[in-house]
Amino acid sequence: MTFLMITGRTVTQGVTVENKTSAEYAAETSTCFMHEFDMLELGLDDRDTVRVTGPCGEVVMRACASPEVEMGTVFVPYGPYANHIVAAGTRSTGMPDFKSHEVEIEPTDEEPKTVHELMVDLGGLAYDR
Amino acid sequence: MIVKDAVCPFCGCLCDDIEVEVEENRVVAVTNACELGTTKFMGEKRMKNPILRDGDRWKDITYDEAIRYAADMLLEAERPLLYGWSGTHGEAQCVGVHMAELVRGVIDNTSSVCHGPSILAIQEVGHPGCTLGVVKNRADLVIYWGSNPIDAHPRHLSRYTRYAEGFFLENAFRDRKVIVVDIRKTETANIADEFVQIKPGGDYAVLSALRAIVQGKTDTIPRTVAGVTREQLVRVATLCKAAKFGAVYFGLGLTMTQGKYKNIRNAIELVSELSRHTKFTISAMRGHYNVYGSNEVNTWMTGYPFGIDFSRGIAFYNPGETTAVDILARKACDAALIVGSDPAAHFPRKCLEHLADIPVVQLDPYPNATTAFCNVQIPVAVTGIDAEGTAYRMDGVPIRTRKVLSTDYPSDREVLSRMYALMQEALER
Repeated sequence: MTFLMITGRTVTQGVTVENKTSAEYAAETSTCFMHEFDMLELGLDDRDTVRVTGPCGEVVMRACASPEVEMGTVFVPYGPYANHIVAAGTRSTGMPDFKSHEVEIEPTDEEPKTVHELMVDLGGLAYDR
Repeated sequence: MIVKDAVCPFCGCLCDDIEVEVEENRVVAVTNACELGTTKFMGEKRMKNPILRDGDRWKDITYDEAIRYAADMLLEAERPLLYGWSGTHGEAQCVGVHMAELVRGVIDNTSSVCHGPSILAIQEVGHPGCTLGVVKNRADLVIYWGSNPIDAHPRHLSRYTRYAEGFFLENAFRDRKVIVVDIRKTETANIADEFVQIKPGGDYAVLSALRAIVQGKTDTIPRTVAGVTREQLVRVATLCKAAKFGAVYFGLGLTMTQGKYKNIRNAIELVSELSRHTKFTISAMRGHYNVYGSNEVNTWMTGYPFGIDFSRGIAFYNPGETTAVDILARKACDAALIVGSDPAAHFPRKCLEHLADIPVVQLDPYPNATTAFCNVQIPVAVTGIDAEGTAYRMDGVPIRTRKVLSTDYPSDREVLSRMYALMQEALER
């Protein structure tokens, strides 16, 4: 199903933002907040994993029902998971389309990667001391 | 020991009434701060010493070695990118601008991915703003548009708007109306007197409709505009015109959606329109505690607020070309110095692919997502915790942050000044 993906701040994202190697930060920023009817349509329960495909790749997140989002829209806290699929075009403003991306969402059996794994995939080297 | 009136270095509110309890040089309790600020003050897990990437492993190095590495990297690069700057003090930002000019690099700050579009709009039509104190004491109508302060600026509501006392308001909680405009029914929407829910991407149309109604052209408005009924739009316009003093605070809900700076321009023009009937102001909900400062420092030193390219030998500014996301995505820099931000967590993946290909040095107290792309990371003191320095609040008021702890970590300014001295020395030779 096609959705509009919005990214933004949440308190939990803000609280864990100085501790990006923590499991809490990974859990929050890999959460895809959805309308419960959309979840029903896709046959998803809370915390089920979904594959989210954007204009430049795909990433696995966990679905979570939220009364805040409308049907057809999903909300993902700012972070490396959403940015793994966000396009870099800025329409000559310097600002990517962080709040207006169309994505495809489908259920999956895969688990979300860790922040380290995402960075290693792009050519980084994990630091975990 | 209890440190009173400490300044919180998290968001643009820069709350200056924080009490921090310190025992054995550790923060053990924080009073008055929100959850975001408290966690930052209590933060541990700092990086202990500078590190260098050596093939597939990390090696500990000294500060002297790390600073020398960074200076050499910037000197050797043809067009280095110096990015970040919102998580540090103004004194360090000044050194950064000097460095960028010396090596003919590009200096950009995080506003290019937060309120950069707001600044573009302000450059077109101006900024009818005011300080937070004026809003607290006078505003009887506050509009949050595309911003969710309960999550992003938790004390904005209690210090300045919904739950704040006002000198010129008899009963502020009763007399001050709050309107929230958003596409999501956020926690902030739940405490509003009026919630206007817009369909995604509809902000520009709703702002235009409100401008038309304020101008007395209600009959031109269709039954709904971007999911908002005409009746509600008329009600909101009437509330605005009836207010003695209105204040609009807008967030990234306007800058990151389609239309970008044109949304802000329309919002500013609505405020100008309303000011023909009553007093109205508009301001941005700035995110990082000193992102406003990075715009100030860059502007007074170069004439431009962000995205400044010195590769021509003079300051050149062209957002969309000289801004960090565009430069990285187009592979148009050959080294990067990152200070006080974490682009690997907040930039699109294409930018990270280029970061992985070029030498990167980062100044940051904590290991973060960008650490994975660093050749060297230099841990520094945290401004407002173990370093002091000037930061600018979201309304442009400069506030001196205080030091609540003493540690051996050097401040950003100290590390950057040593780098800059080495670079000057090398270029004089």
